[in-house]
Amino acid sequence: MTVLPTNFVPEPLATSAAATVTLLAPTARFSLRVWPEDRARLSAALTLELPVTIGQRARGTAPDGTEALCVGPDEWILVAPDGAGPAIEAACGDAYCDAPHSLVALPDREVSVRIEGPKAAELLTLGCPRDLDALIAGQGRRTVFDGVSVILWRDAAQEFRLDVWRSFAPHVLALLETGCRELALD
Amino acid sequence: MTDFRVPGRGRVDHDRPVKFRFDGETIHGLSGDTVASALLAQGRHLMGRSFKYHRPRGPVAAGSEEPNALIGTSRGRGRFEPNTRATVQEIFPGLKATSQNKYPSLKFDIGAVNDRAYMLFSAGFYYKTFMWPRSFWDRVYEPFIRAAAGLGVSPDKVDPDHYASRNLHTDVLVVGAGPAGLAAARTAAEAGLRVTLVDENAEVGGTLLSEPQAMIGGQAAWDWVAAELAALEALGVRVMTRTTAIGYYHQNMVGLCQKLTDHLETPNPDMPRERLWRVRASQVVLAQGALEKPLVFDGNDRPGVMLAGSAQTFLNRYGVRVGDRAVVVTSHDSAWYAAFDLADAGTRIAAIVDTRVEPRPDLMAEAAARRIKVLAGHTVSGTAGRLRVKSVRVNRVSGGTVGFGRQIDCDCLLMSGGWTPSLHLFSHTKGSLKWNETQNTFLPDHVTEACQIAGAGRGLWGIGAALNDGAAMGAAAARALGREAEVGTTDVGNDRPGTGTSHTELPTDRSAARARAFVDFQNDVTAKDLRLAVREGMRSIEHVKRYTTNGMATDQGKMSNINGLNIAADALGKPAPQVGLTTFRPPYTPTTFGAFAGYHRGTHFEATRKTPIDGWAEENGAVFEPVSQWRRAWYFPRKGESMDDAVLRECRTTRESVGMFDASTLGKIEVVGPDAVEFMNRMYTNPWTKLQPGRARYGLLLGDDGFIRDDGVIGRLSDDRFHVTTTTGGAARVLNMMEDYLQTEWPDLKVWLTSTTEQWATIALNGPNARKLLEPFVEGLDISPEAFPHMAVGECTVAGIPARLFRVSFTGELGFEVNIPARHGRALWETLFAAGQAFDICTYGTETMHVLRAEKGYIIVGQDTDGTVTPQDAGIGWAIGKAKPDFVGKRALQRPDLVAEGRKQLVGLLTADGATRLEEGAQIVLDPKQPVPMKMVGHVTSSYRSVAAGRPIALALLEGGHARMGETVHIPMPHGVVAATVTGTVFHDPEGARLKL
Amino acid sequence: MLLIHCPYCDETLPEAEFAYAGEAHVARPLDPSSTSDEEWRDFLFIRSNVKGDHFERWRHAHGCGRFFNAVRDTVSDRFLTTYKAGAPRPDLTALKDAAE
Repeated sequence: MTVLPTNFVPEPLATSAAATVTLLAPTARFSLRVWPEDRARLSAALTLELPVTIGQRARGTAPDGTEALCVGPDEWILVAPDGAGPAIEAACGDAYCDAPHSLVALPDREVSVRIEGPKAAELLTLGCPRDLDALIAGQGRRTVFDGVSVILWRDAAQEFRLDVWRSFAPHVLALLETGCRELALD
Repeated sequence: MTDFRVPGRGRVDHDRPVKFRFDGETIHGLSGDTVASALLAQGRHLMGRSFKYHRPRGPVAAGSEEPNALIGTSRGRGRFEPNTRATVQEIFPGLKATSQNKYPSLKFDIGAVNDRAYMLFSAGFYYKTFMWPRSFWDRVYEPFIRAAAGLGVSPDKVDPDHYASRNLHTDVLVVGAGPAGLAAARTAAEAGLRVTLVDENAEVGGTLLSEPQAMIGGQAAWDWVAAELAALEALGVRVMTRTTAIGYYHQNMVGLCQKLTDHLETPNPDMPRERLWRVRASQVVLAQGALEKPLVFDGNDRPGVMLAGSAQTFLNRYGVRVGDRAVVVTSHDSAWYAAFDLADAGTRIAAIVDTRVEPRPDLMAEAAARRIKVLAGHTVSGTAGRLRVKSVRVNRVSGGTVGFGRQIDCDCLLMSGGWTPSLHLFSHTKGSLKWNETQNTFLPDHVTEACQIAGAGRGLWGIGAALNDGAAMGAAAARALGREAEVGTTDVGNDRPGTGTSHTELPTDRSAARARAFVDFQNDVTAKDLRLAVREGMRSIEHVKRYTTNGMATDQGKMSNINGLNIAADALGKPAPQVGLTTFRPPYTPTTFGAFAGYHRGTHFEATRKTPIDGWAEENGAVFEPVSQWRRAWYFPRKGESMDDAVLRECRTTRESVGMFDASTLGKIEVVGPDAVEFMNRMYTNPWTKLQPGRARYGLLLGDDGFIRDDGVIGRLSDDRFHVTTTTGGAARVLNMMEDYLQTEWPDLKVWLTSTTEQWATIALNGPNARKLLEPFVEGLDISPEAFPHMAVGECTVAGIPARLFRVSFTGELGFEVNIPARHGRALWETLFAAGQAFDICTYGTETMHVLRAEKGYIIVGQDTDGTVTPQDAGIGWAIGKAKPDFVGKRALQRPDLVAEGRKQLVGLLTADGATRLEEGAQIVLDPKQPVPMKMVGHVTSSYRSVAAGRPIALALLEGGHARMGETVHIPMPHGVVAATVTGTVFHDPEGARLKL
Repeated sequence: MLLIHCPYCDETLPEAEFAYAGEAHVARPLDPSSTSDEEWRDFLFIRSNVKGDHFERWRHAHGCGRFFNAVRDTVSDRFLTTYKAGAPRPDLTALKDAAE
């Protein structure tokens, strides 16, 4: 099994009749933690309604606005275009006194890949024990892929994004690459 | 050699001949053949030798339950598999198959001497024979047993194939694609459910493939199968053939092994050989059918003796007559049909021997119409023939008396003792079985999973019954999932339902003690063995099984369990249900290790975590070592350097100038919130309230049992924000422990934890020139000794990259740790390395890091501690905030055991000769002259050559060690006892002056 | 592999996402310094080890990250229920009646 280099250059990693796996360019990314009573204040700061159901997503009003995915009862992943980080930190920082929270910038913790193609969902079953039919387009989950924690975003029926901690990426990407080839033979 | 192929018959492709090799000989078969059917088509029954007696054997069955015809298959270099069933292996050009358990040849085998010594090799033979004399065990018995043991030959090369796995969620999983399974899948799919249908055979149809005469809803059976398959695919049913359900686990998880390439001549190299499916089904329908039971009589294992239903399969599915002149012996109606089919295909049926006195009149009439002689109320008392059965001895039984035997010549003997529902998977779920008196077998009773059992699996005999039951069970599954389901009934013409009786051994006029009446063919267990086991005191069926090995072969008793039970019950004088069955365990059929390993082999065996700087280390010749899931640079040898050379050089350079170390693997946790300092006070032993932002402190983490769990340097970035570091291996564990306390003990604290381990690449610079190297790159922070003292932290840019800079040292030298966003890690590393050339910089790995810290007596949690070491034991009691009311572990430190005298404490050791390096893990004694076993008082935890100390140094955990300073202890080693002096743990710069540069 | 219902995610998910976390309802004494050695020993080490309905903790480690409680029959491996950390022990009799 190919072991990919650790300098993650945004580019297609694998492609076949079944699916294409593309490494994505870095984005601004944060972990936001806040208690329910202070959520509204942070929603206002981010110009989006932080969703309360785990797995739901919301997007800010501005063009290319911040996208929030609820991954725990008091936890959201925020994703925004590269360079938007300081503005998000400033907006949330202004709210800290009224609404204490934890905002930790993590633009480098994960790398992200897009998985798309006619068998994109099937490709994920190589490592993901969840029923992916229950993950509907427009939602996301933290789950496990081949033993590794990942964030899985379903953007369309056969289009996913997968965020994985940088050091685990060679392991995860190698399996996706193998799967791309294998599924094309099915 | 006669050709036994029936032109035009069967599902093989008569226009596509296929050549393969068996024991070196070229065999001509047809596309669609198995190895067994191709050999039988040439009139060859002899395919192997048995395991214990090396008796000649041929196939007794036609499917995966086959116990005898085990072969080795070779599909090219490294692709060798032993113990494949010849009845399952599909042929393809280039296949090389070999018979097993024979030397020098299949027809003449020396091991068959065991068969002549039969009376010696009875049940419990190993237990009895090899007991005495004791001294023979090592030199005689064990080598002999090992040489004789094992089925087939193990492959001796690395498996070049690859294997795959997938997860599958389905509403209904149907196991078995015979009439019941096909109907169940159709009904459930029409109810709108996600349905998966699997079958271990190369094609769907099950028993219908062997019964083409059946008319289903007016359609010929095979046409109906093709139409059903098309309908299922149109409904979106996932149909998988060559796919065996190997195990049925909790909450409807079923393991499937799908064979993808074993039948192909030139598989695509990207295609895995096998794929393991982990299926989670909301409902499972088990439609696995039934297995035919052999009859138990003397010589029932000779090549040519075969199950009647299997002979019917070879004829109807493969177009092969298993002989020219057959005798049929049966206690069940089904074998009559096999006789009729064979007779119609041109095999002479010499006799149908039915143990029942009054066979069904319609069967008698059909036999008469074919002029087949019927011997009702008869038994078989023996067979003759060396490599193939050539005659059968038949006796009349009347009023319990067995009459004179007479010979009937034949070249095959077809037997049927009735049918056993295939309930292996059901048994995996601990579903209970209930004895059925009329069918003399176990049927499913209490169901523990969301599961339906359909057709022959619950004792329903005949295609019509199976079909309609399958539809009903498919509907039951659908309804259980809240769907409406329509169930019609299908009319089946030319159906062959039937009944039968059951036997232990067939009655005989000969001595039972001399009979070779086999129950478990593969393990060579006879009826006599079972009775002997009972006579010798085995009462439980589990004991009988282990004593005789009945049912313990690779076929898991598929054919032997019920016969074994009936005979054991008879010997015990108990009814069968009281004796009970032994447990069936997964896998249903032997499964390769490759399938279980899946993708996890070679470089993908498990996740190997790599730092952003790993690539540079690899390009620069680093030797790596695994540290938890990470691979870390161990040392950086220059050309010609040994490990010792490299480490000594790296140590010297770091102490004299500057060394650079990749510390990215250190765990990092960001602790944020108004209660951050309170949380830190409760978690760590140290006090945190007075630590100012911009300053760092060594943090010590205990469990509530008072033992050291982890440590690391913790920086306070602002009032409400801490940057916590943990050990490399402890990162996940520490975060889990912190979350546990926060979520479940202190949910009122407004503080949150985020792992930032991988956000940062961490470059450690250590040595007197560290500041000189770093300073020119730093902007936004004054790192002079006055402004940025030891244990300071600040935010700045380094070479233009935003950084969190710590002044910290794990070497005892002036040290900095630069944290930059991971994507920049390698670039900064290369920048600093280039600039460091002016200082003769070295890069160093984990080994030098270990040596340098040991010279300073800094502990490594998990190496110098073992989960039973308190802060006092480790000599770091100073890290405890005694004024704090509570912290994790505080209460336990007062427990009597933890304050007792004589605990093991961390000390230094210097070998008396000043030259010997101790071995890590070596045990310590006080008096080397005491008798063995000696009292051990501790062990060496760390040991290195030290440049700074000019001699080897060691750390050790030693009973009452802190009170033994200056004493001599002894370390017994294989080559002599080493004496060492107990010292403090700091071997270099005890005043810490070098930290303050 | 078991299926486990996470009371925070409100989804029933494969065991691979979860980590076992020991017996439930073993509360850390609020004031450890006032406990006797025996009480502290019991808190640390003494567990019920039941055959049958076991109150235990799990963490949705590869999901929402929450620790929660569960009742599992240690003989059959069946979960009777799962519930959020901090919630009281459920009434097993009522649960079993409801399941019948």
